[in-house]
Amino acid sequence: MNSAAPAVTVEHLTVRFGAFTAVDDISFSVRPGEIFGFLGANGAGKTTTIRVLCGLLVPTSGEACLAGTSCTDQPQAIKNKVGYMSQRFTLYGDLSVAENLAFTASLRKLPDALLRQRTRALFEFVNFTFPVTTRVSDLPGGVKQQLALAAALLHDPEIVFLDEPTAGVAPAVRARFWELIRKLARSGKTIFVTTHYLDEAENCHRIALMRDGQIIALDTPAQLKSKTFPETLLEIDPPLGASRTVIEQLRPDPKVARIQPYGRRYHVLVLDPRAWKTTARQIPKTFRMRPIQPSLEDVFIRLVEQPAAAAENRPVGRRAARSRGRRS
Amino acid sequence: MSRRFYPSRALSIAHKEVRHITRDPFTLAWAFGLPVIMVLFFGYVIDFNVREVRLVAADRDATRASRELLTILRASGYFRLLPPVPGQEIQTGMVQEKTKGVLIIEPGFGKDLGAGRPAQVQVLLDGADNSTSGLILSYLGGIQQAAAARLSGAAARAPLTFSTRYLFNPELNSHWFVIPGLAVVVMGILSIILTALTVAREWETGSMELLLSTPVRPLEIILGKLAPYLGLVLITVGLIYLVARLQFGVPFRGSHLLYLLGVILFLTLCLAQGLLISVAARQQTLAVQLSFIAGLLPALLMSGFIFPIESMPAFFQYLTFVLPPRWFVAMSRGLFLKGAGVFELALPLGMLTMLNLLIVAGALRAFKTDLEPRRAKGRTEGK
Repeated sequence: MNSAAPAVTVEHLTVRFGAFTAVDDISFSVRPGEIFGFLGANGAGKTTTIRVLCGLLVPTSGEACLAGTSCTDQPQAIKNKVGYMSQRFTLYGDLSVAENLAFTASLRKLPDALLRQRTRALFEFVNFTFPVTTRVSDLPGGVKQQLALAAALLHDPEIVFLDEPTAGVAPAVRARFWELIRKLARSGKTIFVTTHYLDEAENCHRIALMRDGQIIALDTPAQLKSKTFPETLLEIDPPLGASRTVIEQLRPDPKVARIQPYGRRYHVLVLDPRAWKTTARQIPKTFRMRPIQPSLEDVFIRLVEQPAAAAENRPVGRRAARSRGRRS
Repeated sequence: MSRRFYPSRALSIAHKEVRHITRDPFTLAWAFGLPVIMVLFFGYVIDFNVREVRLVAADRDATRASRELLTILRASGYFRLLPPVPGQEIQTGMVQEKTKGVLIIEPGFGKDLGAGRPAQVQVLLDGADNSTSGLILSYLGGIQQAAAARLSGAAARAPLTFSTRYLFNPELNSHWFVIPGLAVVVMGILSIILTALTVAREWETGSMELLLSTPVRPLEIILGKLAPYLGLVLITVGLIYLVARLQFGVPFRGSHLLYLLGVILFLTLCLAQGLLISVAARQQTLAVQLSFIAGLLPALLMSGFIFPIESMPAFFQYLTFVLPPRWFVAMSRGLFLKGAGVFELALPLGMLTMLNLLIVAGALRAFKTDLEPRRAKGRTEGK
């Protein structure tokens, strides 16, 4: 296997459902062993792209290849190369752990001995310790996700598609799940993951940001941040009990700086450092102010939310707050 | 590239489906509860048989002959004769729904009979309940023959009499008539609803995605998912058959092999209908509603199970031609009661086969294109 050849190649991929364009002429490639993150709001086209790559949907136009095999011409061959863990939990709740895995294995025609060997290895890998006779519906949520991952890995696929694998899972479990994803990538698998949690996306090697079916940015998290925010980003931390009106009343010229509430703090994007210095004098000394690295959430808001909000003539803050609520 | 059909994969889907069935009290309740309730309902609660009908008998003749006639009526077991209530209109009992009819023997009945003249008895029946009235009339007709012979001996010779005898079901026992048809209704609704549900459930939980992301073929999914339900409904049919024969004493005069052929033709047809519904309805609640409309209505109302096709408006009579239950009800009655053979059943059997081939082929096609990766159009997936 030539490790230099891309694991996933997508060229000018377009998917239309009637008049609605779900995926609009996107192109990208993923390297083997890479954790590739797919970010975007609901309906941005992430799941549709994954469905094409898994051979579940034939695109309207464009090409998609996995390790040299065309997703559109050889869907059957594709299905042996990919492991797919869908958005929803898809194992059968009324079957036991062993029955679920045996069922998946039989559909993929894995011999019994291989199934036993892989099950043992995967249970160790995901640290699954429940008895295999447990009904899946009786397992805790996080354990179910681990089991779903094990089922998706049963046939040792080259590429693993994880569609919002940590949706609705406790933060501690999410962290452990990402540990697994990193371990998988180290073992040479290519991981293609979508998520709603921007803090998680920091774990990805590269991130593609989708909006309205298009990829609007594609880079490493560090590059995304520095490219999106060439300006200085400041955080203002008001002391406890301080009046917030001081900041609210600053109202700098939008060409000088933009202030956004961020929890009980504020983020200031400085566009004109010299003019900002004058404005900043009005801020009391008790308010701590320091330059910070933008988070992916800042990047996301700037790239995705702001142009959309501008287009719709809506106040930026409200829209961002709303979408943050939806995400949690 | 494995475009091959693997029976082993269909088998593991079937195995999984059997586990679903045996672990889901809901499916089992459908499969065995519904037939039991329906058989009990139609067998005991709804009784088309008329026994102990309350008739007011006004004997205004009061001769030996008139008393003899009343005794014969009483002895038949079909009627319970009540004396008229003094000071009350003779029909009042009927208006109050206490009685179903009035029998008036006018004075001179005995004399006429003795003289060899036709003797008259007046019968007033409740036309508001014409199904019971029709039966009373036919019972009275039967008794009339016997009574005439007994009362006047061989001497009585009315100029013309109809001699009616009900073939195949001499007592017009409604169980004999209803239960073979009921089996059809139960089979139809059960197999449609269970199929539609099992596929809709798979879509609803998202596990269809899991199936489709493996190399499994649509045909393997169809066969694997439907075979267990075919088996389940066959068991149900067996149960209904036993209840019909043992509990209600319904005869079976035709060929069991032919019946089995009909059952399989009809069941696969219904399973295919359920499959078609599942293509349209991916939610379980919607699937149940559609199944009831597609399964219960034609089987209950338009199959001739209760309402005779001959008395429907012409349009509906033609409509029943494309409804499978109509043909299978005809076949069932022919086999249970009439001992009909292949030759007599050629039309229902032929129609059933034709409809089966049409609907099964259509359902397979629709389901396969629904599952196969296709060019994106129309329906938005996922979200």
